Amino acid sequence: MRSAKAISRVVIAVVLIVVILIVGVVGYYLASPPATVKETLLMGTTDSVESCLDPARAYDFFGFEIIQSLGSPLVEYKPGATGAASDIQPALANTWSSSSDGLTWTFNLRQGVFYDDGSEFTADSVKYTFDRGIQIADPDGAWVGIGIDGIINSVEVVSKYVVKFNLKIPFAAFLSLIAGQECYIVDPKYAPKAGDAWSVNDVVVYQDGNPRGSNPMGLGPYTLANWTRVAGKDTAMRLEANPRYWGNSSGLPKTKTIVVNFYTSGSGLALAMTAGDVDIAFRQLATTDINNMKTNANLKVWEAAGPFIQYLCMQQKNAPFNNVNIRKAVAAAINRTALVQTVFQGDAQPLYSMIPTGMMGNTNAFQSVGDPNYTLTQELLGAEGYSESNKFTFTLWYETSGHYPQSQQQALVLQDSLQKSGLITVNLEGRDWAAYRTARQEEIMPAYILGWYPDYIDPDDYIQPFVSSTGGSWIHHNYASTQMDQLVEQARSSTDATARANLYTQINNLMVQDVPIIPLYMGNQFAVSKTNVQGIYLDITQNWRNWLVYAQG
Amino acid sequence: MTLRTYIISRILLTIPMIFILLTTVFVVMRVLPGDPVLLHFEKSENLEAMNRLRVALGLDQPLWLQYVNYIFGLFRGDLGKSMQDFSPVAQQVFSAFPATLELAIYSMIIAGVLGVILGVVASKSYNKPKDHIIRVFGIVTYAIPVFFLGMLFQLGFGVGLHWLPVGNRFDMSLSPPAGLNIGNLHLATGLYTIDSILEGNMFKFVTSFKYLLLPSLTLGLVLCGVFIRLTRSNMFETLRLDFVTAAKARGLKDSTVTYGYALRNAFLPVLTMMGLQFAMLLGGAVLTETTFSWPGLGSYLIARINFRDYTAIQGTVVVFGILVSIVSLIVDILYAYLDPRIRL
Amino acid sequence: MVKNNKNQIKRSMLAMILPIRALAKRGLAGWLVLIGAAITAAIVIMTLFSPVIVPHDPTQINVRPPPGNPSPPSSQFPLGTDDVGRDMLSRVIAGGGVMLQVAIVSVLACVAIGVPLGLFSSHTGGLVDKFVSLIMDSIYAFPGLILAIAIALVLGRGVVNMALSITVVYIPSYFRVIRSQVLSIKELPYVEAANAAGARKRTVLLRYILPNVLPSIVVVATVNFADAILTAAGLTFIGMGVPPNVADWGWDLSNGQKLLASGSWWVITFSGIMIILLALGFSLMGEGLSELLNPRLEKEGE
Repeated sequence: MRSAKAISRVVIAVVLIVVILIVGVVGYYLASPPATVKETLLMGTTDSVESCLDPARAYDFFGFEIIQSLGSPLVEYKPGATGAASDIQPALANTWSSSSDGLTWTFNLRQGVFYDDGSEFTADSVKYTFDRGIQIADPDGAWVGIGIDGIINSVEVVSKYVVKFNLKIPFAAFLSLIAGQECYIVDPKYAPKAGDAWSVNDVVVYQDGNPRGSNPMGLGPYTLANWTRVAGKDTAMRLEANPRYWGNSSGLPKTKTIVVNFYTSGSGLALAMTAGDVDIAFRQLATTDINNMKTNANLKVWEAAGPFIQYLCMQQKNAPFNNVNIRKAVAAAINRTALVQTVFQGDAQPLYSMIPTGMMGNTNAFQSVGDPNYTLTQELLGAEGYSESNKFTFTLWYETSGHYPQSQQQALVLQDSLQKSGLITVNLEGRDWAAYRTARQEEIMPAYILGWYPDYIDPDDYIQPFVSSTGGSWIHHNYASTQMDQLVEQARSSTDATARANLYTQINNLMVQDVPIIPLYMGNQFAVSKTNVQGIYLDITQNWRNWLVYAQG
Repeated sequence: MTLRTYIISRILLTIPMIFILLTTVFVVMRVLPGDPVLLHFEKSENLEAMNRLRVALGLDQPLWLQYVNYIFGLFRGDLGKSMQDFSPVAQQVFSAFPATLELAIYSMIIAGVLGVILGVVASKSYNKPKDHIIRVFGIVTYAIPVFFLGMLFQLGFGVGLHWLPVGNRFDMSLSPPAGLNIGNLHLATGLYTIDSILEGNMFKFVTSFKYLLLPSLTLGLVLCGVFIRLTRSNMFETLRLDFVTAAKARGLKDSTVTYGYALRNAFLPVLTMMGLQFAMLLGGAVLTETTFSWPGLGSYLIARINFRDYTAIQGTVVVFGILVSIVSLIVDILYAYLDPRIRL
Repeated sequence: MVKNNKNQIKRSMLAMILPIRALAKRGLAGWLVLIGAAITAAIVIMTLFSPVIVPHDPTQINVRPPPGNPSPPSSQFPLGTDDVGRDMLSRVIAGGGVMLQVAIVSVLACVAIGVPLGLFSSHTGGLVDKFVSLIMDSIYAFPGLILAIAIALVLGRGVVNMALSITVVYIPSYFRVIRSQVLSIKELPYVEAANAAGARKRTVLLRYILPNVLPSIVVVATVNFADAILTAAGLTFIGMGVPPNVADWGWDLSNGQKLLASGSWWVITFSGIMIILLALGFSLMGEGLSELLNPRLEKEGE
């Protein structure tokens, strides 16, 4: 029989051992180094730089995306921005102000910022950038496309760190414009000018084997360490942290190296993401793939309302769509819920105003027309003399080469919802993008679907290019209304936020009255990543902020 | 007609053929609805800027002048600048070419090897079940649309079994095979399988094969039917010839007879048939490339057609045409060498 | 009278069976023709009767309402639905119509143009022959599908345009085969005799040469059919065919390709099999006929 003492000794020993074990294990975990941030992130995309990385010409999504990582603007949008003025934050400019008439803007620049060759960023760099952009006037470029030279008159160097913009017209969205990728500040050493007359030939294009010479940027969170293209498509790209970045003190960029992997198809990208070949997949994944990935526990799907909208245009220079009642009848027969459910499986939102949801100026205006409201359709068409035996027939055109997402399915759903009214027959006509563009030019399409990515984040960019008689000429739908033109002009030059909001409400109401164009839906944007990735911000600016993304461990 | 005369006359014939091809492409592209200048102006249309671009691309000149410039440019070897991204077409075409070449070579090898083996087996059991099955197999594979077969393979081996990759040419996270690099000597063929050997990297060699397997298998299967038929009939005839009977009588092993003597006879026709099938191969390659996202000349062509990039399309078609002409030229000359009757 | 009718029916059925038995006796070639014809006939009948036998309207979207489209084969939708909710079974049944139309039109056009062209050119000989042969060779050397795509792009969509583009691509095949046949027949003694006796060119062509060339035409036509089916599928696959609300197997392949990566295999598989079967039917017939009618052709490896 053990004595009590012996037992208690055993017990003490056991307890001690257990305690030591526990302490050891706990200590081990506590003492482990905290999860580190990965050095390199692999990003997969189906995009490719379409023209170049020169902000004076670039006009494609991916080109802009990379320009953003390689350069910096004077001001930028906060992550999660909705387009309000308060979403603008300093970047290369610390503070700014505008004159009361809105024709002059003055920026105080950040000091102590240097290019990679050691020269300093000053007001001269800003003037150089804007003078060059306007002078190059690449017919193919963003500056011409957005019409920046119609807004900016001149750029003045006031002092070493103060620069002044003189505008031709008061432009409420000026800060928005300056925050855009086409206005990113270039490095004069790599952005040539030839004597006094600059030309298109001074645009910086891809140079095989020379990534630094292939882009005129500088001052951004990353430098271009590697860029190769084969047969006009990107095959490799590597971004490395810029040691002279002005944001370094804030710990940016979070990930030191970003490697971009290019895939030629959405399904290829989806497979790679599912297989874990990349850390992040961004553009362009099909709806079915995204929905599959939502149920995958190893992946994180990032989703946000995007600024991309699609809308239905009608040719108003001749019958039948020169008749506002017929336009309204068609608008009433559209079932946006069916569109969003069938084609996008809920990954898009119905849109009842040309201004996207979440942005100032958005209302549910078109909902009053119907969604759908077949009674109204039947009423209006009946009054025009149409009936079951004499249906209103027209051809709906759509593009077939994938320029917009799932155009064919959209056309099929629209056809179905319009025909369900009982008084409409819709024929479908598809053309690849090139032929579609020509058809638009020649104004031969009675009704056609188009899409829109904004150039700057402001309601003006969703109104003026569509319903103003001058701004909307590229749509070739021949809508012109003096009342609308006046409203649009007032709204874009007004400096008072409340007054602007009011004006846009009026514009929305006028649009429901005139039905010059029918908003359909607003797309969501998606990114997919492994579960350990953080820092992805998808917002209405479409800015892909590589410098904020990181992965744990 | 002597062989030399035949060769010369044949070469001379090739020139008008290529000429007709070039002209046809030029006309087709200009007649097609769609304007590359327009495509550069997505949203806003600035008439002045559009005209500037039109002049820069040479599209403001009268059609006949554009045609003349095009032809003269070709003689100089200048394929012009792309209307989509303003880069030299020649550089783009020749950078895309090795991918298509690699796909074509391996597909042809598979088609040839598979076709010959099956043809031999079929000829040995003439009119028996094995023969019938093989013949039907050849017919069936030809009847399958190449893109459908490709998709089936992707579905089975890629998505289903996860054995093989379903797209692209190489693993994205590796740098592509760079060939031989010793000091100042740089030797790269652009064919990943060969370049990885030159580089001495066996892992890359295996990887490039993994990506090459499904596309070339698809195309090879679709093309093998012709070779099966050809080999089968050739072997059948040859096996009945006297010298074969004699060899068998002397007691030579069956396999020696088959592969040693008879097959040698079938070899040259198969080779020439490969040449004749070359045009089909290129056409099939275009579809295969798009199905497998294979970054070759076919994918390039399809992408550029979407943009109405006249110069790029013309350049690609010219290269295709010249290739096909050269190959058929070689084949015809070979035939003429072997069979004097054709020269008449 | 009823009895007579019954006997007549019996007799015509026997008459149908006889060629079948005759064919079956000719070995593999005969079987190939039989099986090929059977497959083709079955598909043609199915297509003709499709408006009656389809369970749902093949062009109606959201027959199965969202969400959940595309949905896999189920008891309600035996072959599943595609991404806009159309019933795949209905689309498979009705999807051959366009292709058959295109194939028939193009083959007829090819024969109508290619045969006379071949006869005329080879019979005339000389420079004309060389010139026409040159053009035909240029077209023939060009990858067929690419040429068809180019022509379709120019002409636009629709059944007639598809048929036209396929016709242009395949005329050279007829031309070449006929030309080589005519060239060899020309040398035959009785043709030379007829010529020497002063027979008119046309008589010689129609009475002597054409009948000998007919078997080859039939063979080429069947292969042409098969190729036309595949090319029509290819054209629709890239979007150059018919509007998307028409039921067509090519469309299903095109739509289904994007759905592959997410594992929706049923959209392309069944339509693809139908395309293969239809092309196979004609190919088998062509193979068999080729061996039966002209044993020499088979060895040339054409």
